[in-house]
Amino acid sequence: MSASLSTAPRAAPAMRPWKRIAAYGQEFILLGAILALCIVVGIVNPRFLGANNLTNIFAGNAYIAVAAIGMSLVIISGHIDVAVGSLIGVLATVSGLLAVNGYPIWLAWLAPIVIGVIVNAGVGSLVAYLRIPSIVVTLGMLSILKGGLISITSGAWITNLPENYLIAQFRLFGIPSPVWFMVILTALVALWMRYSAFGRTIYAIGGNVEAARVAGIRVERSTVLVFAIHGAFAGIAAVLFATQLQVIQSTVPPNLELTVITASVVGGVSILGGTGTVIGSTLAAILFAAIASSLIFLNVSAYWLRSVQGLLILITVLADMARRRRLR
Amino acid sequence: MTANFRSLLRHETILAVLLVLVLGALATQSDRFFTTANLLNQGRLMAEVGLVALVMTFVIVTGGIDLSVGSILGLTAILLGVFWQNLGMPLPVAMVLAIIAGGIGGLVNGLIITRFKVPPLIATLATLALYRGLAEGISQARSVRGYPEWFYVLGQGDVWGVPTQLWILGALVIVAGVILGLTTFGRATYATGANETGARFSGIGVDRAKLLIYTASGLVAGLAGVIFVSRVSTTRSDMGTGLELDVITAVVLGGTSIFGGRGTIIGTVLGLILMQALKNGLALSGVKGDGTIVVIGLVLILAIVASNIFSRDGEG
Amino acid sequence: MMLKKSIALALGLGLGVSMCSGVAFAATWTGGDDLPTNPLACDGTAAPAVAKPYDGGEPTNAPDRKGKPIKVVDVPKLIGIGYFNATSKGIADAAKELGNVEAKTDGPTQANIDQQISFIDNYITSGVDGILFAANDPVAIAPVLKKALAAGINVVGYDANSEPNARQWFVNQAEFNGIGKALVDNMAKEIGEDGSFAIVTSTFTTPNQARWISEMAAYQEKCHPKMKWLETVEAQEDNVLSFNQATTLINKHGADLKGIFGMTSVATPASAEAVTQAGQCGKVAVIGLATPNAMKPYVEKDCVKSVVLWNPVDLGYAAMQVLRATADGDLKAGATSVKAGKLGELQVINGSEILLGAPYTFTKENIKDFDF
Repeated sequence: MSASLSTAPRAAPAMRPWKRIAAYGQEFILLGAILALCIVVGIVNPRFLGANNLTNIFAGNAYIAVAAIGMSLVIISGHIDVAVGSLIGVLATVSGLLAVNGYPIWLAWLAPIVIGVIVNAGVGSLVAYLRIPSIVVTLGMLSILKGGLISITSGAWITNLPENYLIAQFRLFGIPSPVWFMVILTALVALWMRYSAFGRTIYAIGGNVEAARVAGIRVERSTVLVFAIHGAFAGIAAVLFATQLQVIQSTVPPNLELTVITASVVGGVSILGGTGTVIGSTLAAILFAAIASSLIFLNVSAYWLRSVQGLLILITVLADMARRRRLR
Repeated sequence: MTANFRSLLRHETILAVLLVLVLGALATQSDRFFTTANLLNQGRLMAEVGLVALVMTFVIVTGGIDLSVGSILGLTAILLGVFWQNLGMPLPVAMVLAIIAGGIGGLVNGLIITRFKVPPLIATLATLALYRGLAEGISQARSVRGYPEWFYVLGQGDVWGVPTQLWILGALVIVAGVILGLTTFGRATYATGANETGARFSGIGVDRAKLLIYTASGLVAGLAGVIFVSRVSTTRSDMGTGLELDVITAVVLGGTSIFGGRGTIIGTVLGLILMQALKNGLALSGVKGDGTIVVIGLVLILAIVASNIFSRDGEG
Repeated sequence: MMLKKSIALALGLGLGVSMCSGVAFAATWTGGDDLPTNPLACDGTAAPAVAKPYDGGEPTNAPDRKGKPIKVVDVPKLIGIGYFNATSKGIADAAKELGNVEAKTDGPTQANIDQQISFIDNYITSGVDGILFAANDPVAIAPVLKKALAAGINVVGYDANSEPNARQWFVNQAEFNGIGKALVDNMAKEIGEDGSFAIVTSTFTTPNQARWISEMAAYQEKCHPKMKWLETVEAQEDNVLSFNQATTLINKHGADLKGIFGMTSVATPASAEAVTQAGQCGKVAVIGLATPNAMKPYVEKDCVKSVVLWNPVDLGYAAMQVLRATADGDLKAGATSVKAGKLGELQVINGSEILLGAPYTFTKENIKDFDF
C-alpha cells in the first residue's frame, strides 16, 4: 500500500525540499505559463490586464474548471468519463426548463446536481460491479444522452429565464460568482483529497487496485462514490453554464468533454491513475481561457488556435514526463 | 491463452447472433433494407470507418488507443488538395504523398508514446488537436475541388459491380486478420497488450511493434482520407471530425478489450457491420437520427454487459 | 532547478513560435471567401437583372406526381438549433396547407458533411418523392443529390446551396449582396461613417457566412470607405464561446470598438449579451442576423437597434411550395416566377434560384409582431 501512496504529492513531506516543489511541479509550471502569458500579452496590449478582461478570463472557463475537479477524481481513481459534455448539456437543459416553468429557483439549482449524482452513480455501478471499462460505458452514455436530449427538446432554445435564476451573473465583492465557485470548490477538494481518508482511498485505487483491495479498501463502493461526486460537480458546472447568458441552447456543447479531460490531464492528473491534484486542473482551465483570449489580443488567426492548444498539451505532458523521470 | 481464446469466441458468437437478429428485425421493418443495392451502398459508406477500425483493433489490443485518426484523415484530405493544386504535383503523386503524410502523423504518435512514455490517450488527444489545427491552418478554410474524372472511381465508382473502396476494405480485412491471427507479429501484439513487462522480458520488440502499429494507423487514416475526398469530391478541414468515436465504438463492440490483450479482426468487422446496419436500417424503418444515436449507445453498453456476464467464468 | 528552467523555456518557446507563425499567416485575413463579389449600388437602386438560362438539374424518369400525395424529407445542415426549427415549422405548415404532402425533418446533430450525406443516401433508399436540403458544403453534397435526381426524386434546396446541376431549384432567402448592404448600412447609421467594427462569425469554412463577409467587405469599401474593419473571430454555433469571443473583443479594443456584427443566429444574441454584461449598451452597437425571439430582450432594452433576417418560417414554407410545384410540373426550366401559397408570386433569379425577397430589418417597433 505504501508503494502506491508514495506517488501522491501528499507524501511530499518525507522528501527533500526541492523534491517537494517538484512533486507539485505541474502546478508551478502552469502558474508560470499563465504569468508569462499575461506579461507578454500585457506588454503587447496593456488592455489584456484590464480588470474586465482578467475577470472574463477567470469567470469564462470557471464551469470547465468545476467540471474538471470531478473529472480529476475520476481519472485519479483510474477511470475516465467521455460523456461529461453531454451530461452537462442535459443537466443545463433540465435546470433551465424547471426555471422557466415556474418551479422554485432553488429546485432549478439543486435538481441538476441530484440528477447528475444519480446518473453517474449508475455509470459508476456499471463500471464497478459489472466490470465494464469506464470508457465503454461513457462512450455509450455519450450517445444516449446526446441523442435523447435532441429527441426530447428538438433543440428549442430556452428563453425568458427569470432574472434571479441567473446565478452565474451574480457578483460578490465585485467578483462574479463562478470565480467564487471555482476557487472555493478547488480549495475544499484539494484539502479533502489530501487529508481525508477517502481522498487517500481514491489515490490508492488509482495507484494499484489490488494493493488497495488487500489493504481493506472497498474498491467497488468507492468507485461508485467517485463517479457520484463527479456527477455532483457536473451538476454545479451545468448550473454555471446554463446561467451565464439569458438563453440556454438545450443541445450538447461541442467538444466539452475533450476540454474538460484536457484540463485535468494538463493539470497534472496522470491518466494512469494514482497521482495529480485538482489545483492543477483548475489552473489549466484558467490557462486555456487566457490562451483563447490572448489569441484575439495578439491577432493570431483563429485558424491556428487548435494547433496552439495541441502543442501546448504536448509540451506540458512531455515536460511532466521529463520531471517524473528526474524524480525517480 | 486458451481460456482467453474461448471467451473471445463467446463474445463473437453473441455478436453474430445479435447481428442476425438485428438484420432480421430490420428486414421486416423495411423491404428496402435487405437489397443488394442498399447493402453495397452501405459498404461504401462504412469503408472509411472500417479501414481505420482494422488498425485500431491492433492499437487497442496493445492496450493503447488512437484518438487522432479523425484529425489525420482531415489533415491528409487537406494535404492532398494542397499538393495537387497549390504545389502542382501530378494527382497520383499527391495521393501517395498525402497517405505518407498520414503515416508520418501516426509515426509521430508512436514516437511520443514509445520514446517519451506518454500514455497513448494523452499523446493522441494532443495530436488530435494539433493535426486538426494544422489542417485548419494550412487550408485557411479554402476547399480544393475539380479533380479529374478518374479520381472519383476510388470513392464513387464500382469495380465488377462492387464499390471500389469495398474491395480495398475487403483486402485489408484479410491482411489484417492474417497478421493479427497467424503471425509472430500478431502474437507480439497480443503479448504486449496482455502483459507489457512480461513481453519485454521474453524478448519481444514491444516498442518497435507499437511504432509500426501507430504508423499503420496513420497510414490507413490517410488512405481513408483520400477515399473520403474522392467520395465527396472536395476537401474541407473539418473532414473526419468525430470519426474516432465511431471507430472505437465499432472495435469495442467487436469484443476487443480496451485494457488490451484481447480482440480479433472478425469481431471488429462484425461490430462495424452491426453499427452500420443499425444506422441504415433504423433510418429506413422511420427512426430519426437522434433516436438512432440512442440505440447505438444502448447496444454498445448492453453488448459488453452481456459478453462480460457470459464470459466471466472464462476470464478467471 | 536547471530542469524546471528548461521546461519553462520550452513551454515559452513553443508558445512563442506557434503564435508567431500564426501572426505571420494572419496578415490578409478577414474570414471571407475568395469568390468574386458583386456589391449593390450605395443608394439601393436595383442592379439590372441579368437573364440566365436554367442551370439546375432534372430528375430521371420521374413518375407523374401531379396532384398525387408525395412523401418529402427535409435534411437541414443540422437539427436542434432555433433557425432550422423555424424552417422545419414552415415546411410542416406548407405541407399541412397543401394537404397532399407528408413531410418530415431529419438530419445530423452536428453540421457535418459526412453525416448529412448518409442521411440523404438513406432516404433515397427508403424511397421518398422529394428531398429538401440546406447544404453543409455545396460540392460535397452534390454526388448524393445527383444520385437522388437519377432515382427520379425531386430535389430542392434552401438556405445553403449546392452546385446548381445537383438540384432542381434553390430557394434563396436573400441575395448575398443584399444582406451585405443591409448589415453595413445599418451599422453605418448607428456608429457613423468613420466608426470601427468587428465580426463574430461561426467558422471560416461555413460557405454562407464567408460569402456574406466578402460581400460586406466589398460594399463597405465602395459605399462606406471610412469605416474601419478591425477583425473577424470564429465562435462556431456555440452560445458561450460567442459570448466569450465578443467580450474579449470589447476588452481588447476598448473605446475603439463601436460595433459588432453577429453573422449567425447564435452569435448575434451572444454578442448583445456580452455588450449588456460589459455595461456597454449604447456605446457598442450590435447588428446581425438573428431570430426575433432571441433578440427581444436586447431590442426592448434598447441595447440593439436593428436585427436583420429573412423569416425562416417563410423560407421553409416557400421551399415546400416550390417542391410541390416542381413535382406537379408547374415549375419548369425557363419559368420567371412561381406561385408560393400565401407568399404570392416569387421571382426566379440566376437561372434556377427562387428569391424569397429582400432581407427584413426588425426594430423595436415591429419585433413584437414576430414569434419564431
